[in-house]
Amino acid sequence: MRLAPDLPRRSSQAPIREYGAIGDGRTVALIASDGSIDWLCLPNLDSPSVLGGLLDHRRGGRFQLAPEIAFRAQRRYLPNTNVLETTFDTDRGRVRVTDAMTLPRAGLAPQRELVRRVEAISGDVPMRWRVEPRFGYGARPCRIGTRAGVPVASAGADALAVRAWNAGSIVCGPEAIGGEFVASTSRALLVLSASHAEPLVFPARDEVEARLDSTIDFWRTWAGNRSYDGPWRDAVIRSALALKLLVHAPSGAIAAAATSSLPETLGGERNWDYRYSWPRDSAFTLDAFLALGCSPEADAYFSWLLHASQLTHPRLQVLYRLDGGTRAPERELPLAGYRESRPVRVGNAAAPQLQLDVYGELLQTVHRYAMSGGRLDRETGRRLGEIADEVCRLWRLPDAGIWEVRAEPAHFTQSKLMCWVALERAAELAQEGKLPAGHAHLWKATAEKIREFVDSRCWSPERGSYVRAPGTRELDASLLFTALMGFRPGDEARVDATINAVREELSHGALLYRYRDEDGLPGREGCFVACSFWLVEALARRGRHEEAATLIDELLPLANDLGLYSEEIDPDTGEFLGNFPQGLVHLALISAAATLADVPAP
Amino acid sequence: MTVWGALAGGLLGTVVLTSGLRACSELHLTRMDIPFLLGSAFFTDRTRAKAVGYLLHFAFGLLFALAYYALFRAIGDASWWLGVLFGLAHALFAGTTLISVLLPAIHPRMGTATTAADASPLLEPPGFLLINYGASTPVVTLVVHLVYGGIVGEFVALSG
Repeated sequence: MRLAPDLPRRSSQAPIREYGAIGDGRTVALIASDGSIDWLCLPNLDSPSVLGGLLDHRRGGRFQLAPEIAFRAQRRYLPNTNVLETTFDTDRGRVRVTDAMTLPRAGLAPQRELVRRVEAISGDVPMRWRVEPRFGYGARPCRIGTRAGVPVASAGADALAVRAWNAGSIVCGPEAIGGEFVASTSRALLVLSASHAEPLVFPARDEVEARLDSTIDFWRTWAGNRSYDGPWRDAVIRSALALKLLVHAPSGAIAAAATSSLPETLGGERNWDYRYSWPRDSAFTLDAFLALGCSPEADAYFSWLLHASQLTHPRLQVLYRLDGGTRAPERELPLAGYRESRPVRVGNAAAPQLQLDVYGELLQTVHRYAMSGGRLDRETGRRLGEIADEVCRLWRLPDAGIWEVRAEPAHFTQSKLMCWVALERAAELAQEGKLPAGHAHLWKATAEKIREFVDSRCWSPERGSYVRAPGTRELDASLLFTALMGFRPGDEARVDATINAVREELSHGALLYRYRDEDGLPGREGCFVACSFWLVEALARRGRHEEAATLIDELLPLANDLGLYSEEIDPDTGEFLGNFPQGLVHLALISAAATLADVPAP
Repeated sequence: MTVWGALAGGLLGTVVLTSGLRACSELHLTRMDIPFLLGSAFFTDRTRAKAVGYLLHFAFGLLFALAYYALFRAIGDASWWLGVLFGLAHALFAGTTLISVLLPAIHPRMGTATTAADASPLLEPPGFLLINYGASTPVVTLVVHLVYGGIVGEFVALSG
């Protein structure tokens, strides 16, 4: 029997907006609305892709499953889960496909298992499926054969098996495994069982079905235990579920996004690998976890953050690997890129940059953790004190800033502000007896010097606002941190003026650009979605409840049909840009919604 | 030549063999995981299977060292190179019969050519010369067994 050809597609890759995400706490698969899984890294999220059609539709590999005839697709997550349900409507009937990465239960389960269940709702619908595994970002030779009658694709220490029930005769070709069947009364099941450095497990059907059911139960229980009861609960719970997908279960680290090299400009070179954990996101992460009652996740993340930063103590690296490692060498892959957006990069050269704001984010995180009842032992307190001492030494240096600009280092206002946050929080913790108090006077005095610097050098009387860096007239959405971090407590006139100036200059509808000036790279990017939610939170914190509520109501419909966001949105077309789903956006959404719920309307 | 020399060599040889296989796995040369293969015959829980598998693997390592000892006694000589020769025979036996035929035959969760796949979760069978676990697996298996044999031979020779 001949292997069926590729299913036709409107263009080489689906729009980023059309992807949904499923995962198991170790890796994430992205599924387009046409039923094609175009992204799956194995065994972990930061491993090389096996299905990487997202970055090269010819060489990357994918797992297609869809009707052979014309269809319209509708999809949703099963309520309160990370299990995706796609319904295909055709002239010959309707078919429902349920996609999940299962969680292991008792018993011998595959290392990683991706399940696709096909049920006919009405009629007899001809279906076609095709798995094209391409190990190592499509670079490693793959052997396809059978073991005990089961199709297996392998390359070195990695392998995956395809199990299929009621899904037609399986055909193995040199580059793909596939089949065709008619979805009617009997339920079909397709399973990818993956293994790294181990023999494969070929699961039995009843065990797969049981794991799928228990996976749905797990997600429902987890989502049901989240404690947010404000008016934006659906969006908050979806964001929490999206974040949970990005949590690397063995370490507690949170990946910034599930993908690499989805472009910030279509066809451009702003393509970065976000499958690392940024301590910068830590304050938002901890806030979100604590706000939603995710204590185990908060403890795990805090523990990971302290453990990972130990490797570079007292310096903080900008990003760490999900296992806590520090090496993230950047290289370019010979892939065509998402819609010809090249280069495709893996690794991230921002890792060794000096970004002063991370110290503020770390100590803000520690402050929140400790003040919400988390325990800091003596050794941790000593190390944090040494980090505060390091901030006293470093704060006068120029850095790459929150946006990791690849131009010359500069004295970014937000970096200085976050150094002030670091030392203020360290001094407060020392006062509470949670950090050694020996250097507290130095921290307090240096914080005051930084405040003076920000107020004298980073304030533009001409613009009536803080500006991006001393001596410029440029505004930057990161200046909203003056409101988020409580700068100038009791005297917030300048903070309010900055919020207004940022909103006026950087807004495009409900969305905000990060900045409008040069950043050392060619091309123009879209609006940075997290900034828009920061604006919501800034407005809420400054008592402008109605404006904040109006803005968040405008932002929520900009998500895709599943409630997910990418890093950026083109404000003119609504097209998603950048890596997806992006954790920082969902963190900012939760933080904004939680702040709005906490701050009563006047 | 003493039994204690054989047991000491068997213990060290198994440590080196196990570590070597693990290192080759980390180097993406093989998916061979002997403790997992052995332990999963008794337990479906991965952690427990691997823990028990390691114990079984060490027990087998000592048993094979005793078999080597018997052969050394039978021919009245022991040396590292004789051990390497035994290791070669051992590797061929493991690759062609022991792991590729006998283990699937008795392992309750390993697939064979005649297994009905729906019966239970199945482990991927190793295939002839264990080739299913990666193209380099036969070479890796051979090398670690040669080292094992050399260590046992040298320890038996040194034990007087």
